Amino acid sequence: MWTTFLDALLLQAGYNAALVAVGAALLGIAAGTSGTFLVLRKRALVSDAIAHATLPGIGLAFICMTALGGDGRNLAGLMLGSALTAAAGLLLVAWISRATRLSEDAAIGAVLSVFFGFGIVLLTLIQTMSSGRQAGLDGLLLGSTAGMLFQDGIIIAIGGALAVGAVFALRRPMTLVAFDADFAKASGWNVGHVDLAIMGLVLGVAVIGLKTAGLILIVAMLIIPAVAARFWTERTEHVVLGAGLFGGLSGYVGAALSASAPALPTGPVIVLVCAFLFVLSLLFAPIRGVLASLLRHRRFQVRVHRRQGLLALAHSEAVHDRMTLAVLRRDDLIRADGVATDIGRAQAAKALLDERRWEIVRQMQFAEGLKANFDGLTPIEGVLTKDELAEVDRRLGPLSIVGG
Amino acid sequence: MRETPVKVAAEDGRIVKPPTSDDSPLAVRGLTVSYGDKPAIFSVDTIVPQGSMMAIVGPNGAGKSTLLKAVLGIVKSLSGTVSIFGESLSEAQQRVAYVPQRASVDWDFPTRVIDVVLMGLYRKLGLLGWLTNHHRKTARACLERVGMVQFAERQIVQLSGGQQQRVFLARALAQDADLYLLDEPFAGVDAATEKAIIDVLKSLKSQNKTVVCVHHDLATVADYFDRVLLINVQKIAEGPVATSFTAENLQRTYGGRLAATHIDDLRLPAG
Amino acid sequence: MKRPYQVDTYALSRQSAIFKMAVALAGISVAFALVFSSLARADDGKLKVVATTGMIADAARQVGAERVAVKALMGPGVDPHAYRQTRTDIVALAKADLVLWHGLYLEAQMEDFLVALGKRHQTVAVAEALPKDLLLSHADYADKYDPHVWMDPQRWAIVISTVSDALSSVKPDAKATFEANAARHLEDVTKLAAYAEKSLATVPAESRVLLTAHDAFNYFGEAYQFEVLGIQGISTESEAGLNRIRELVDVLVTRNISAVFIESSVSDRNIKALIEGAAAEGHAVTIGGELFSDAMGRDGTYEGTYLGMIDHNITVVTRALGGSAPERGMTGKLAASS
Repeated sequence: MWTTFLDALLLQAGYNAALVAVGAALLGIAAGTSGTFLVLRKRALVSDAIAHATLPGIGLAFICMTALGGDGRNLAGLMLGSALTAAAGLLLVAWISRATRLSEDAAIGAVLSVFFGFGIVLLTLIQTMSSGRQAGLDGLLLGSTAGMLFQDGIIIAIGGALAVGAVFALRRPMTLVAFDADFAKASGWNVGHVDLAIMGLVLGVAVIGLKTAGLILIVAMLIIPAVAARFWTERTEHVVLGAGLFGGLSGYVGAALSASAPALPTGPVIVLVCAFLFVLSLLFAPIRGVLASLLRHRRFQVRVHRRQGLLALAHSEAVHDRMTLAVLRRDDLIRADGVATDIGRAQAAKALLDERRWEIVRQMQFAEGLKANFDGLTPIEGVLTKDELAEVDRRLGPLSIVGG
Repeated sequence: MRETPVKVAAEDGRIVKPPTSDDSPLAVRGLTVSYGDKPAIFSVDTIVPQGSMMAIVGPNGAGKSTLLKAVLGIVKSLSGTVSIFGESLSEAQQRVAYVPQRASVDWDFPTRVIDVVLMGLYRKLGLLGWLTNHHRKTARACLERVGMVQFAERQIVQLSGGQQQRVFLARALAQDADLYLLDEPFAGVDAATEKAIIDVLKSLKSQNKTVVCVHHDLATVADYFDRVLLINVQKIAEGPVATSFTAENLQRTYGGRLAATHIDDLRLPAG
Repeated sequence: MKRPYQVDTYALSRQSAIFKMAVALAGISVAFALVFSSLARADDGKLKVVATTGMIADAARQVGAERVAVKALMGPGVDPHAYRQTRTDIVALAKADLVLWHGLYLEAQMEDFLVALGKRHQTVAVAEALPKDLLLSHADYADKYDPHVWMDPQRWAIVISTVSDALSSVKPDAKATFEANAARHLEDVTKLAAYAEKSLATVPAESRVLLTAHDAFNYFGEAYQFEVLGIQGISTESEAGLNRIRELVDVLVTRNISAVFIESSVSDRNIKALIEGAAAEGHAVTIGGELFSDAMGRDGTYEGTYLGMIDHNITVVTRALGGSAPERGMTGKLAASS
């Protein structure tokens, strides 16, 4: 299985696997970048509403095309139908939250369920239509990624490129509106239009990815990459790039994985890879990851205990706290019997000196902003300049030297 | 609803705007805004002269923020007109800068201090304008003015309240406007930040810019501002601080909710 | 003088009395109407039969002829593995004199409902009457069987007899008619089986591979010594994996198979992907034709009957894979291929 996986990663596992890997990667890139601004705008649920609102459009398009004598499964027609009803759903959500007292998530929930229900009714109706050829319509719910055709790949490539291009062109107003909509409005940007653009991008990607990922799974591709990328960076441009990267990676690796073993449906496996990337980010991202903050907290604890221990030594108080004792002993500041070592006494004296220096600084006027840096742990030499420090020491008076 | 300016044909056939009597930075007439059926502000008039520093004061729910937002088009007004330097908002957009309340934004947003200030330059840059070093220098200069330049690369979520307020002010400075509207810039900030902000505002005034602040601290109105607008849904009084910021006007504005001792503490001119 | 807000209680109670009488009258008329209409309906003498698949409905029509009124729930192009009953269906099933369903888990989404229906209505799972040694086991589940028994006319003959028995048990006075009709129909089915044997035997040995969208043709393969491959499994509910597609592309290339088949009731997307995959390896594969796998053709056409459906399948497969069979099929009634 793993050799096949490796082959698939290198696009050596056959034409279909290569096509799906590249197509899914492109779709992932487009979905990740487009969904980022929706997530930043705190409207991730709208993607769910849009995706579900495509269903009645598919049914209506099928019925219309069949009634007009054409092929009900014509892809262009289905995409157009799904885009139209999704757009209608979008506008309805916007209108409901504006015109009534319903909150936005209530509006989204209402529109989502009504449109989706209507879609299911249409599909059931189509099921009984005697014209036949309706098989495969509900494949648009979960997608049929493995059966990707070359024309699907072309649609994804072109549509995806347009989506990414639009994200680049509109990145400034979208970032601004997501961060501070009032300021954006006051600066002259049409916030309503920008919001429509953000949601319209999502709609476009959902329609493009309908055949491949299905409407239920496309939501995952839109949202998860952005959320995962958020853990790694604090700059908006980097979140967008990271989301595109994660989306593309999930598509590519998910497709390769699905090609390497039997009974692994491609669409869901891609989503699972995406979710895995999210869990990795959650745990291991530096600074914002869970592991990193646990380590940081632990380091902070150690520093606090160390300082408290030193101050206690300086004041000749007994130390009782177990963690403090452990920390002091680990750094050779204290002997096993609790008596301070030479180094310990020197460090304790230094800690006491710093305390006194900070007291002086607090009384003085010049270091207003720097007082904010006093967290009890930062050495004062790193905060004040040499002459400022000299001035503080002058006020302290003569110092006595302690060994070590 | 704003009145569309009437266009008049000049003698040579050009379409010009009729001469208005009012080119002041901000002229508001009969502005009414309602949320649902309740009026937030009702028929408010005010004229802010050039170069003045005006405080908008009133009790909670008086409509102070609403007034600013209606002027800027952030909320829709029911009736009344707003003119900025004699023009409509869309025409005079480049000459106005807005500093919203700190709480109106989620500060856990992936962006740095310098990026927030650069956002103030977005309307000049447009969609595809290239962000050059010149723009970055401008942004850093604005941060310098508010004392935040050493925090330029920092994530905004790590800032204290006062630091956040300074960044918002720097962003407004980057817009290089003539009229500055600030919503409670001194709320919940430390003393050093308050001093830094008022220094910047005073320097703006000295450059003949106009500053309008929604202000919450009655004790500092006389020290910081030269004009005051007292509002409680309707305009109660307006004018220079010396003549309009009186005990009686305050009582009318706060509807007796202000304790007599509090007004005494303010040591206001009688009348 | 009566003040406006005072309520005229006498007038009100009179109004209320009139209202109550009106409601009672309406209720009685509705009741009468219902009773009369149900009485009226019952006297055209036909047995109301509701069948799930079109194939069963066709069998019921052939056996019952003018003594039955048959309705099929699933029309042409409908996938029985995925079909969910609508409210109209439920009403029809409840009102039927006899419900005929396939069983063997073909109507997967309706199974629970049909079993429950069977407790209070006359229902027969016709395919489950087949002796177990004639059934092929399910590829994926050890205790389940492959339900696609209609693909082999000889097995379907047993189902037709079961249908005849079911009709006779519900309408014993027409038993003789039913048995005569069934015998006549079974003759045609026997002819069909012979035609199948003869035609399919002409397909050369190296081409005897039938590759379709899902595993519907195992009985066909067993009856006529064909190797049968489906992209999806026995049920169309399972999604085809990339691995499976690659596997089948390899088979197509190494075994030099030149034709694969789409199905009327299943999406042709996977087949098309397979063809593209083979083309990328330099091996040209065409679509040999559309087969009727889980549903018959259009109502009112020859292909819309069981005989026509199987005739079509046999003829198309034979001709596409290099064997010889008349273009218009066993009886010359097949639609001309485009």
